[in-house]
Amino acid sequence: MNLTIAWITARALLGRKRVLLLLPFPVLVVGLTLIAHALRPDAADQWGPVIVDGLGLGVLLPVTALIVGTAVLGAEIEDGTILHILAKPLPRREIVLAKLVVSAGIIGTVAAVPMFVAGTVAQSARFGLALAVACFVAALAYAALFLALSLLTRRPVLIGLAYVLLWEGLLGNLLASTRELSIHQYAVTLASRIAQTQLLHNHVGLPVAIVMSAVFLVGGTVLAVNRLSSFAVTGETS
Amino acid sequence: MSSVEPARAGVIHDLGYQRYTGPRLGRRYATLSLYTHSLRTAFGLGRSGKAKVFPWLVVGLVFAVAIVAVVVRSQTNVVFISYLQYPDTVGVPVLLFLAVVAPELVCRDLRAHVLPLYFSRPIARPDYALAKLVAMVSAVWLLLAGPQLLILLGGIFAQTGGWRGGWHEFTDFLGGVAYSGITAVVYASVAVLVASLASRRALAAAAIVGTFLVTAPVVGVLSIVGGSLRELAPVLNPVTLVGGVKRYLFHTKVGLDLGIYGPMYVAVALALVIVCTTLLLARYRKAGA
Repeated sequence: MNLTIAWITARALLGRKRVLLLLPFPVLVVGLTLIAHALRPDAADQWGPVIVDGLGLGVLLPVTALIVGTAVLGAEIEDGTILHILAKPLPRREIVLAKLVVSAGIIGTVAAVPMFVAGTVAQSARFGLALAVACFVAALAYAALFLALSLLTRRPVLIGLAYVLLWEGLLGNLLASTRELSIHQYAVTLASRIAQTQLLHNHVGLPVAIVMSAVFLVGGTVLAVNRLSSFAVTGETS
Repeated sequence: MSSVEPARAGVIHDLGYQRYTGPRLGRRYATLSLYTHSLRTAFGLGRSGKAKVFPWLVVGLVFAVAIVAVVVRSQTNVVFISYLQYPDTVGVPVLLFLAVVAPELVCRDLRAHVLPLYFSRPIARPDYALAKLVAMVSAVWLLLAGPQLLILLGGIFAQTGGWRGGWHEFTDFLGGVAYSGITAVVYASVAVLVASLASRRALAAAAIVGTFLVTAPVVGVLSIVGGSLRELAPVLNPVTLVGGVKRYLFHTKVGLDLGIYGPMYVAVALALVIVCTTLLLARYRKAGA
């Protein structure tokens, strides 16, 4: 963990107007929750799952993770400015850890704040906190996964999109057991176990969710450190 | 070059270079070339294997769905996926296709600052934008209509109504192809506009998927909360919007309940395409200058 690297990364992601790119999704979640609550406070069991699971955990979290998680390292690789960091006498694991902490921190904050509001309005403050915790855990897993992806391939966003859309989205509905390998489902399980709720239906067990989140986090980090240690700089080919 | 002294300045020899005096193919030809080139780019044709992976992954997926539809129908004699249902069934792969292809078509030129090279040719700025847009529409339409041709072949030979049944099957197929066209125009105009606004390919891909995914739960929530919002809200999402257009134009029995707002769906779809195209043209009025 190197504070300078972390600072540079955070500034590259949030500096100037770039932070505005991350705002629309959270604002939409909060706004929609407030509108729904104002119009039909009695029907929270109907709009609650759509906002919390369909919009929040299903779209806001993975899409934010995709944008931020692949940009922390992927953007620098694409621009070639990664060389400036690699040329410094720093252990590569420090670079990866700094990037991971910043990425997970930003994803977690962007997702957890609106989800806390949505959960509190839809059910209770306890449920809001449960969602926030689930968002941060999932943010760590997603951040590690997408960081590793951005070092394994030149097109991390497309592979990440395929994972989010096809694996978590399409196959998660068709083939039940693919949910065991879906970060989205871990977040759902964590949130619904921390706070008793009717708004979420968990499909994987709590031990699986905790262990597999840790596996994604540690596995992704180790893989990323490993790949960055033997990183080869190449130009754009295709 | 004022430093060169007149005495040392050399003589320019006539090496016999000649101007091109043959026919020039002009603006239409250039636009058409850009269109065919973009359409080939969409499927990675004429490019390296890496550029083919994602488009052909999607093509493989949509054809796999078509094959399943044909097999189920031939075994059970029940229409599993009708032509009009097909474009909605493969919605997720199509979304992935949009996220892969639209940034590929527009972002590379923006990012590499090569637009002035295009515009130094007879091609004009609107020509460039429209060629890219039409190429995207064609690519999505081919992606949707191609597998339906397979379903048609399977359907014609699986049905037992003879020539009459075959003709009936063919008219159903034409409906599906027309609906695919509507879907392609709406999806592509949204996707190309979003991609042209984000110059980074990675960001553009995420933004396209974001626009399509985020509006779906919005429709869901608004449908739940209020009376006529249930029939009005679906216009906010491109997927449910074209679903509503289908319901109104093709009189399908299942799907959204439009109430009296059927014509509004057609109007909103038209307006969306016009607004997106206008914004795209506006974007390219200054881009890369």
